[in-house]
Amino acid sequence: MALDHFDPQLRTNDLVQELKWDRELRARFETSEAEVLAAYPLTEEERTAIAARDFRRLYDLGLHPYLLSQLARLIYGTGEKAGTSEAATALIRSLLGDEYETYMAARGD
Amino acid sequence: MAEICLALAASHTPGLTGWFDKAPEPERRVVTEAYDAVHDAVVDSGADVLLVVGNDHVANARVSDYADFTFGLAAEHRGPDEWFKPWLRVDDYTLPGDPGVAAGLFEAVRDSGPGLRAEPGDLRFDDNLSVPTAMARLVETGVRVVPVLQNCTVPPVPDERACYAFGEALGEAIRTRLPDGLRVGLLGSGGLSHEPGGPRYLDIDEKFDRWWLDLLQEGDHERILTEATFDRMEQAGSGGTAELLSWVVVMGAIGPRPCTSLGYVAVDQWRCGVGAVQWHLP
Repeated sequence: MALDHFDPQLRTNDLVQELKWDRELRARFETSEAEVLAAYPLTEEERTAIAARDFRRLYDLGLHPYLLSQLARLIYGTGEKAGTSEAATALIRSLLGDEYETYMAARGD
Repeated sequence: MAEICLALAASHTPGLTGWFDKAPEPERRVVTEAYDAVHDAVVDSGADVLLVVGNDHVANARVSDYADFTFGLAAEHRGPDEWFKPWLRVDDYTLPGDPGVAAGLFEAVRDSGPGLRAEPGDLRFDDNLSVPTAMARLVETGVRVVPVLQNCTVPPVPDERACYAFGEALGEAIRTRLPDGLRVGLLGSGGLSHEPGGPRYLDIDEKFDRWWLDLLQEGDHERILTEATFDRMEQAGSGGTAELLSWVVVMGAIGPRPCTSLGYVAVDQWRCGVGAVQWHLP
């Protein structure tokens, strides 16, 4: 189950919420991501995973899947106009790892 | 006594407004006709107030402090929330609210079990309210809207029986605590199968969706609660399919009765099974 890893205490959950809610913070994240990550009370493991776009690691650490997809949109853009957007495929590529190519080939995408 | 004059449920997904044109024309037609039917049903029912029950999508509270149901008490409900605008591509809208009805219902059911909150200020709406508002042209109907945002995805989630019981309490409150003659409609907004942000993000469980719709049309609510559990919904797409709990709230409010499907399609690019139903009321 995708929700089995969820940890409400993981602070990356709150960071993604605040990025959605705070336009100024979002603008700083877009121009100075490392500074925003350094200033927010995250663990080094969380900062490293966000910087590396390692969505699988964030998922395992307990980031809620909804917020995981929203973090992908915050990074890759939200005006996607497609189900197989850059944000969605980057997320699935990270979550599926070695199985990604097989999975996408089976779908015909 | 107020009367429940209308009971509907319909999917919302950003693809319906954000990238509607990615679907083949026959599927688009099914969806357009389904939401047209929702629009017509709202108008024909003469509803004064429409309760829209829908997943909050972790939009209004931190996940460590999350309500099960949040009643929107504002005099007007505006959307979509700013961050979702480029994604949803719907026009900005303002729906009239009904603070009196919203507060009256909240007070009547606040001790009914799940964790309830009332929000007098603005709530953030994404596709939960924005998609039915746009697709079913709710502003045109003039109906006053009371949004009831629901926790379908932050554990612990109120399960199917908790949501049905909440719906029963809500139905009783509508019938006994609101002004005489008021006509109240119900719209469950959410589902069908999808797994937002999970490994099966691009998958739709069409077999589950069609089974669910068949069960609902038969109208045996005890069977639905026994077989279409929260866990079964999670198997059909974690974190998303359980938005069908909004439909379960509506079922609780109106009691066992069959419904009619207004249409169903599974379009990969929308990443969500899309369907709608209207229940048969006396």
